[in-house]
Amino acid sequence: MTKTDAILKTRNLTKQFDGVRAVDDLSISIAKGKVTSVIGPNGSGKTTLTNVLSGLASIDGGSVVLHSVALKKIRPFDMPSYGMTRTFQEVRLFEQMPVLDNVLVVLTERSVFGALFERHGAFHEKQAEEALKKVGLWEKRNEPASTLSYGQRKLLEIARVLALSAGRQTDIILLDEPFAGLFPKMVKTVSSIVKALRDEGRTVVLIEHNMDLIRELSDHVIVMDSGKFLAEGRAAEVLERRDVIEAYLGE
Amino acid sequence: MEILSQLILNGVIAGALYALMALGFNLIYGVTRFFNLAHGVLAAIGGYAFFTLSKTLGLNIYLGAAIGVAVAGLAGYGFDRLVYSTLRKRKASNLVLLVASLGVFTTAQAALSILFTSNFQTLSSGEAGGSALSLFGGVVTRTQLVIIFSSIASMLGLAALLKGTMFGKAVRAISDDEEVARMVGINTGRVTGYVFFIGSAIAGFAGILAGFDTGIQPTMGMGLLLKGVIASIIGGVGNIYGGVLGAFLLGLVENFGIWKIPGEWKDAVSFVLLIVFLIFRPQGIMKR
Amino acid sequence: MDYILHLAILVIIYAILGLSLNLVVGYTGLLASGHAAFYGIGAYATAILTASLGVNFFVSMAAGIIASAGAAFLIGAVLSRFDGDYYALVSLGFNVIIYSVFLNWQGLTRGPLGIPGVPRPALFGIEFSSGVFFLALAAFFLALSFLAARFVARSSFGRVLKSIREDEKAIQVFGYNTVYFKLAIFVISAGMAAVAGSLLSSYITFVDPSSFTVMESVFILAIIIFGGLSSLKGSVVGALVLVLLPEALRFAGFPQSLAAQMRQGVYGLFLIALMLYRPQGLFGEFKL
Ligand SMILES: Nc1ncnc2c1ncn2[C@@H]1O[C@H](COP(=O)(O)OP(=O)(O)OP(=O)(O)O)[C@@H](O)[C@H]1O
Ligand SMILES: [Mg+2]
Repeated sequence: MTKTDAILKTRNLTKQFDGVRAVDDLSISIAKGKVTSVIGPNGSGKTTLTNVLSGLASIDGGSVVLHSVALKKIRPFDMPSYGMTRTFQEVRLFEQMPVLDNVLVVLTERSVFGALFERHGAFHEKQAEEALKKVGLWEKRNEPASTLSYGQRKLLEIARVLALSAGRQTDIILLDEPFAGLFPKMVKTVSSIVKALRDEGRTVVLIEHNMDLIRELSDHVIVMDSGKFLAEGRAAEVLERRDVIEAYLGE
Repeated sequence: MEILSQLILNGVIAGALYALMALGFNLIYGVTRFFNLAHGVLAAIGGYAFFTLSKTLGLNIYLGAAIGVAVAGLAGYGFDRLVYSTLRKRKASNLVLLVASLGVFTTAQAALSILFTSNFQTLSSGEAGGSALSLFGGVVTRTQLVIIFSSIASMLGLAALLKGTMFGKAVRAISDDEEVARMVGINTGRVTGYVFFIGSAIAGFAGILAGFDTGIQPTMGMGLLLKGVIASIIGGVGNIYGGVLGAFLLGLVENFGIWKIPGEWKDAVSFVLLIVFLIFRPQGIMKR
Repeated sequence: MDYILHLAILVIIYAILGLSLNLVVGYTGLLASGHAAFYGIGAYATAILTASLGVNFFVSMAAGIIASAGAAFLIGAVLSRFDGDYYALVSLGFNVIIYSVFLNWQGLTRGPLGIPGVPRPALFGIEFSSGVFFLALAAFFLALSFLAARFVARSSFGRVLKSIREDEKAIQVFGYNTVYFKLAIFVISAGMAAVAGSLLSSYITFVDPSSFTVMESVFILAIIIFGGLSSLKGSVVGALVLVLLPEALRFAGFPQSLAAQMRQGVYGLFLIALMLYRPQGLFGEFKL
């Protein structure tokens, strides 16, 4: 990959918690318009990496380069303006709000005054409907999110991200284990969504443990181990490498 | 110079009282992790129990104080069994517990005013607070000396209890991680009940001492509670030694504060101190 | 008849307080425990401007709204750093501080003496001095407050508030700088509380600090928790029940001298019972 394709890079990125280096001197780059899978054994720092990228965890060392701008500090609410959005491994919905509102809320005005004098219109509802229909939750739109099943909750997270990326043209989408715990039918839904996103030219960073899905979906694979960069390349090659297999077995 | 030593003395006396409130508050916070806003009313309950026994019924003051302390402890234990433990079992959020404790506080305070009227009562007989002694160029009453010594004694006693006994081990285990404590076989419900008893008893003791120093009133709880909470937070919430340190700091700051500004601003001064701490050093003086 | 008018006006004042507080507690999930401070700023603004300076009531109300919103802006800037139980504690602390100001800024508020002789409102020669006229005026402001609260609640802004309540970090990631939203709703809520304060001081024709204590804030909290968090209808019903219930007790034969204590006891018990059996209140959709 040439340097110019990279839409998102980390440079010697480090994040530590009480002495544990969850992300350790990590330098990787994510190619524009591709699906890049970030894999690694449990606790290797994948979620921490997405948290740092989305401003939920501060940067302790190094930097993040987004659209060729080096950042030392990322504020969470700047994410969409950097063209980024994410899902959460541990699902974070607005539990006591209806499913529809969980999606609408990412579509409306960001400024206080704008939001105060805005009522959501047919336009917003159309976008929310599209996103919810893609994941099959449109029928559930008036139920509180807390009543959804585990799989439906993960799908609602995806819908939220789809709505945001359609509405605001966010082109980097971080998916933290979107398939974990899903029934096969839901897995198919999500994998076709991932493919559709790539076909639209969006950049997807996929964190995943399932090797078949990694092979099927990724254009490029980056392996992390103990917060460090371990290997990268095409799925078929990387997954055969000895050090990668050992990292997984060694956990 | 004399003003200075008097201010320091006053600060230490106030601090000693706040330290007692902070001890109990912190002990309870350590195992339950919620702001028990009813903690202050237990001081009032202790004070009124003593008032009834020793002043109205003429019981020996040491016996009266001992029973008063026990009554406060039992009341705290009862609140836990009736309200908080039920909520904890349901995994209610901190805010639910906090609001419930506000309810307990309000109800108990109203009950005290109905039973004893809202009037101010003094506990000490004879001249206020016993004879005055002069110390380092300042004046201190016997009551105030008792406050300082019993505050230090309570802290040492509690520290010994937490360090040296199985009960103390259990308390520390629950403070570290309740789930783990339960898994290793600690009856967390029972230990928490005892903690409520001890913490509330200390508050009751503080109430009696405060009553000797100034007097009692059903509404005395809120003031004492807030001082205890503030002392705990600036000292390091959940850390009983930090709470004591915070209490003395609070007592000193308040008393030095009113050197230059009128005494009515005391409460405001202490909250300003709290807010300054929360902004610049939210973990308090001593981290948990 | 006068008695009924009196109760109706009190219900309306508390309903306005409930509606405004619900925007912060019920919609945004922030346990603001110092609402009486802003109620008081509105009351004092009207008392000072109309009684001492002869300004028209409606102008004084506008000034009260501005003063209260301004104070809320400063306080909210500090409060926005906190959440959960710390938010509750610090907001309570600000209530204590503002109360101290009412009590001790003698030059402005006449301290504990209070400000007498606050006139009833007048506009274009119409005087709202009789009970019925005042009731109509108060009802008008309640309707206005209700519409304003509903406007906020149904806007996109209202939806963002609810998502802050549910998971502030998550909604931030979707691009909302939540600090501004929390600050804005706090300011709006304080401005509405000032309306209730203006009505109070002009209705009672007198204002003193004792109406704006922490206990008053707890009473307003009890109203909205009883009526239901994030239910506007609930705030009105909550005010109705909690203001009238103690009156009913009086008819049941409890002595007048205990009225205030009875009221406290009742809403304290309500808070406990609600937390135990129905944390979302009567019409609420949100559980703390
Ligand atoms: N908030 C935190 N505080 C302390 N330690 C943390 C925190 N978040 C993560 N860690 C630690 O950082 C390391 C990396 O965790 P992380 O969740 O990023 O791993 P992961 O690769 O996402 O694992 P998994 O595949 O299980 O999701 C772990 O050792 C974890 O315990
Ligand atoms: Mg993870």
